[in-house]
Amino acid sequence: MRDFRFWGLLPAHVLMALTLIVPILIIVAVSFSTRGAYGGFEFTFTTDAYRQILFNEGWTGELEFNPQYLYIIGRTVLLACCTTFLCMALAFPIAYWITLQGHKARVILLFAVTLPFWVSMIVRVYAWLIILGNDGVIEKGLRLTGLVDDLPSLLFNNGAMLAGMVYSYIPLMILPVFASIEKLDPALIEASHDLHGSRWVTLRRIILPLCWPGLVAGAILVFVPCLGAVLEPVLLGGGKILMMGNLIQMQFGGARNWPFGASIAIVLMCLVMVFLLLNGLRATRKAMEEMA
Amino acid sequence: MKKILLSTAATLAFAGAAQAEGKLNLYVWSDSIAPELIEKFAKENDVEVTVDGFNSNEDLLTKLQAGASGYDLVTPSQHFVKIMVDQGLLEDIDAHDLAAYAQVDEKWRGQWWDPENDYSIPLAYGTAGYTVNRDIYDGPVDSWATYFEAPEALKGKIASLNYPDEVVGAAQLYLGVEFCSEDPAEMKKVYDLLAAQKPDVAVFASDNIENRIGSGEVGAHFWWDGNSLKTRKNDGAPIEFAMPKEGLVGWLDSMVVPAGAANVDNAKAFIDFMSTPENATIQYNYYAHSSPVALDLDKAEYTPENAPELFPTVPVEFSRACSPAAQDLVTKVWTQLLQ
Repeated sequence: MRDFRFWGLLPAHVLMALTLIVPILIIVAVSFSTRGAYGGFEFTFTTDAYRQILFNEGWTGELEFNPQYLYIIGRTVLLACCTTFLCMALAFPIAYWITLQGHKARVILLFAVTLPFWVSMIVRVYAWLIILGNDGVIEKGLRLTGLVDDLPSLLFNNGAMLAGMVYSYIPLMILPVFASIEKLDPALIEASHDLHGSRWVTLRRIILPLCWPGLVAGAILVFVPCLGAVLEPVLLGGGKILMMGNLIQMQFGGARNWPFGASIAIVLMCLVMVFLLLNGLRATRKAMEEMA
Repeated sequence: MKKILLSTAATLAFAGAAQAEGKLNLYVWSDSIAPELIEKFAKENDVEVTVDGFNSNEDLLTKLQAGASGYDLVTPSQHFVKIMVDQGLLEDIDAHDLAAYAQVDEKWRGQWWDPENDYSIPLAYGTAGYTVNRDIYDGPVDSWATYFEAPEALKGKIASLNYPDEVVGAAQLYLGVEFCSEDPAEMKKVYDLLAAQKPDVAVFASDNIENRIGSGEVGAHFWWDGNSLKTRKNDGAPIEFAMPKEGLVGWLDSMVVPAGAANVDNAKAFIDFMSTPENATIQYNYYAHSSPVALDLDKAEYTPENAPELFPTVPVEFSRACSPAAQDLVTKVWTQLLQ
């Protein structure tokens, strides 16, 4: 039995090692290497790439503390947080409403939620260019109503970027939230009302705590890919400010500094790990409390 | 981003591929090779041809450096040919012995990026400058001042590219700073110019340019001569490619073979094929960028009269292969600009 457990799982272990662990180790190795003059890298150990995150040569040549990359990292985290929060706020009522539908309607609605995943991400982001752009759907619609004549451009700003991000990732929030609301026992809600709990109190003290695991799962699914977003900031946000994803891409391209790109990628990965770790700790603590 | 670029790549597979004698994998600027020529070459030589597209020299260099790209022929610009030769990324194909070499215009032979013509045969050349939409801006376009120090009509309606290569070059031309300058004080001036321009810039993006400038979403866009020409002719867009007196940034793309390519003979055959006057003319009419090889002038569509974009009346300064120190300054300018 023991043998089988080892040999039976061997393909899975090999796959994990080759496709997940080895590539990450290579990225770590590159981040501690010396950059090649025209891109690429040489395996000579140095921590230059990490030092560069905090310290840079100024225009006059002296090494100085430069927070520019910290701004970029902070901005990326802020964007991911805003997107996650908006997704939560929008997904909860949507998911709740879906659970209230009949069986058939529910299946169709859930199918509709997953439908965008059948289309390439790039095409979906381009669709927003048509919606928000000059003479786009929104501008034309507003013109028809005759209320607005001259609209300021809706594209290439933070709002457009955020709209694109929320749109791209909200299905990842709706699905787990839906699953947790569906499991909700209606008797508990009735009990709350019987005990003179108002709608607000019922939502706050009964429904939300019971659905919290679904919201957290959705938050992880949304937050993590948001940290690496590249498309929306460039196409909808106008590419005027760098996000971590764009910064990494630039290092492997024009900047010809692979080790620095790798070190930023490692920082990005650490951020994700901290986020997952905090969530894991919270879950264990909760499990302990329940056992006690 | 790279995904978008690849999505524009077309993959052409042809009937009878099973019996095809060989393969040829091209990695070229997106939409740069006339599809009818690809089809013709595949048929004539019984070769299965695939075409992938890239949108920046950096993408191409990174791919070749990562190794085993699987491509047989690529088309970098002059400064990247130089870097690739120096890095040992290209196959020495004795290009000077190819039939194609005899077709190459004297002035494009033995250039600094390939002095002995061992590696490359030029495919197309042109300039990078800026295009204005005449519905939005009707003032003069004889200087980079219009682009970098936007007049009232263009405030908030300027568009730049999303990588620094040619934009920094143009700023250097305007300021009289040497290309590939290693002097931080000089490059600080370039940064100051771009930083002062930034509030007027609506977008930094290198794809979908024809829609943005053609529709008037922006009033001035950093762009290439032939693309501007094609959009003006095909879509009738009210646009004009500027001729700034400070000069345009020049580029020349060459056909080269990556080191270790699997189908070198097919790649050489393709280079010869693209360089015959008949095919070069078809390519010229399709791509709308100037041709460094002899053309069939009776069939060539573009003349100085109907395509002034391709016949610049101002100095053209070709991008160079910068030293790592100079390249770092370019990156510093760009990172600070977008920080």
